[in-house]
Amino acid sequence: MATSTEGMSITRTGEAGAFGGELLTVNFGPHHPSTHGVLRLIVDLDGEQIRSIKPVIGYLHTGIEKQAEALRWQQAVVVTDRHDYLSPPINNLAYALAVEKLMGVEVPPRAQALRVIMSELTRISSHLVWLGTSGIELGAMSILMYCFRERDTVLAMNEEISGFRMHTSYIRPGGVMADATPRFLEMLDRFTREMPLHIDEYEELLTMNPIWRARTIGIGRLSPEDARVLGASGPMIRGSGIPWDLRKTRPYSGYESYDFEVATSDACDCYGRYLIRIKEMREAVKILRQALDRLPDGPVNVDDRKMLPPPREELETSMEAVIHHFKLFTEGYSVPPGDVYVAVESGRGENGCYVVSDGTHKPRRVKFRSASFVNLQALERMALNHMIADMVAIIGTADTVLGDVDR
Amino acid sequence: MIRQDLIVERGVSAGDEWVTVESGSIRDALAELKNEGFRLLVFLTCVDHLVDGSRTWPARFELAYQLRNMETREELRVRTFVDGDPPHVDSVHDMFPPANWDERETYDLFGVVFNDHPDLTRILMPDDWVGHPLRRDYPVGGEVVEFSEEHERWQTAPDRA
Amino acid sequence: MGKNILTTTLGKLVGWGRGNSVWPAQFGLACCAIEMIHTATASVDIGRFGSEAMRASPRQSDLMIVSGRVSQKMAPILRTIYDQMPEPKWVISMGACASTGGVFNNYALLQGVDKIVPVDVYVPGCPPRPEDLLNALMILQERIKAQGILPRT
Repeated sequence: MATSTEGMSITRTGEAGAFGGELLTVNFGPHHPSTHGVLRLIVDLDGEQIRSIKPVIGYLHTGIEKQAEALRWQQAVVVTDRHDYLSPPINNLAYALAVEKLMGVEVPPRAQALRVIMSELTRISSHLVWLGTSGIELGAMSILMYCFRERDTVLAMNEEISGFRMHTSYIRPGGVMADATPRFLEMLDRFTREMPLHIDEYEELLTMNPIWRARTIGIGRLSPEDARVLGASGPMIRGSGIPWDLRKTRPYSGYESYDFEVATSDACDCYGRYLIRIKEMREAVKILRQALDRLPDGPVNVDDRKMLPPPREELETSMEAVIHHFKLFTEGYSVPPGDVYVAVESGRGENGCYVVSDGTHKPRRVKFRSASFVNLQALERMALNHMIADMVAIIGTADTVLGDVDR
Repeated sequence: MIRQDLIVERGVSAGDEWVTVESGSIRDALAELKNEGFRLLVFLTCVDHLVDGSRTWPARFELAYQLRNMETREELRVRTFVDGDPPHVDSVHDMFPPANWDERETYDLFGVVFNDHPDLTRILMPDDWVGHPLRRDYPVGGEVVEFSEEHERWQTAPDRA
Repeated sequence: MGKNILTTTLGKLVGWGRGNSVWPAQFGLACCAIEMIHTATASVDIGRFGSEAMRASPRQSDLMIVSGRVSQKMAPILRTIYDQMPEPKWVISMGACASTGGVFNNYALLQGVDKIVPVDVYVPGCPPRPEDLLNALMILQERIKAQGILPRT
């Protein structure tokens, strides 16, 4: 299987450089410690300055969209976990909202609140991975240990509520997998009280650190006009001063009832995006506190036996329940024909799910609109004429997850 | 809104507004929408309607362009149907830069050729891959698993043409 | 080299040395890579078992932990990295996708990395817990200590 660059319009090797030499083409990846996954960059260098970048992707292409077409509607939730693997519940949420829109059902308030709780916990854990790995790539080794310590706490909560640390498949069309246990609520309560202190620790390590500031201030500039034109989303566009956050502009799952701020920065550089992500973690803790304080009682699943199985006790007494159970576990439910697009705000930006149904028990087409796929196209604009050593900081600030890019 | 003569059909699906235009006039339609403020192309993708009995489709491949107006927060889906071997449609990468990679991906996975695209090569599959995997007559592939239901269909194709 | 009292004692020493300092090559591909990072950080510290130095260069490492799904495009690169590692070398296939293709039985993935490299320990899970990876490393260490001086065939 050739992965040559034949036919690609790159490599200006041999071209005269501004400093008297020639341009040198350097291959960055796909096996590289600092590319946040299997990303390959073909970089043309003039001395140490970057003259052009060509990202080559596809090294993690998993055929998730094709796999979802071969699975039933309720089974396809499992593969939605795995494309943006740092925020599985948020991916589940986009898919679940899309399917529920096509089915015309709305989940009960307790399920909505639990969905918000899981989304915000995931946002925190995703930003912790970003902060830890970006730190260690720029040489700050201790921040990795601190961030992953907190992440272990969040993953322990995931495990308490769903049984899985990472790929929870917790949010499903029709509601959520299971109700929150009292131990989960206790862990969440403790987490919301302790996390702000930990975020203070990270800020103490990095925010006024002269090395961190020297490596991120002024690096990776993305002007607001460029951010808009290139379709950037998430901290990439908020880092250029545009307050676009889907939780505020196109709210879903009850987000309009929570009080939180949208983090923006006018700095347009890596440091600004770092401050945004720190603030987003703090706002996420605020939302978690509000959600926990006013968690409504009630069922966690929509009461539709054609979509979700009946409770096991009913199978002993009701024939209808047995038939529903049988149909759901052999064929699965059918979604009325139509197509819909739902977008949610993940740690990276706009993560959306475009679902096309042909009326059968399997999806016709599931397309995942990936924030990282679009944000990666902004890499060239951000990195041009920077030094090669800044490349690592710029890839880090884009916070791309290659599973999401390649699907 | 787009000129009346460009619109073939319009409707609402689960709360999403959509319009269908002729494949030849996709550039005009998107240019008009861009002038009106729909300046963000959220995504562009293709759907293969081979053997889909839920309704009669004008052509096999449907291209869907989701546009968004960030000021008014409206969204609109523009659909067009193309056929052919391979199907051709004009590229819109100059109007909407995010379309550059989206069109390469649609070419890679579906085989739709975008005219005037600067670099229409495979982006996700290896460069010498044969076939377009997301088409409905391309098998899901993988390993045969004994006693799994419908797995013979996976090995041939989800839809037999 | 026959087995006599000198070589078996030397073999134990060599095995002890090799087993207690297995340096992994970073080969994080997908979700399992994040759990691999957890194995390397404070709560489940793989450095305690000798794998402190996770080298970026395959030329300086003994162990390749294939953590994540191997796509068709990545397969030749994985083989190249494996070939660059000097003997003796071992492979841990971490996770369901690396072991057998996992959830994804389709055109895009290798149905198990053992189709292109020989694997010593398979770790099931999607993703496996950090402790599972540590357990796999410990199993591998026992195997290494038992091998002695003789190169693996």
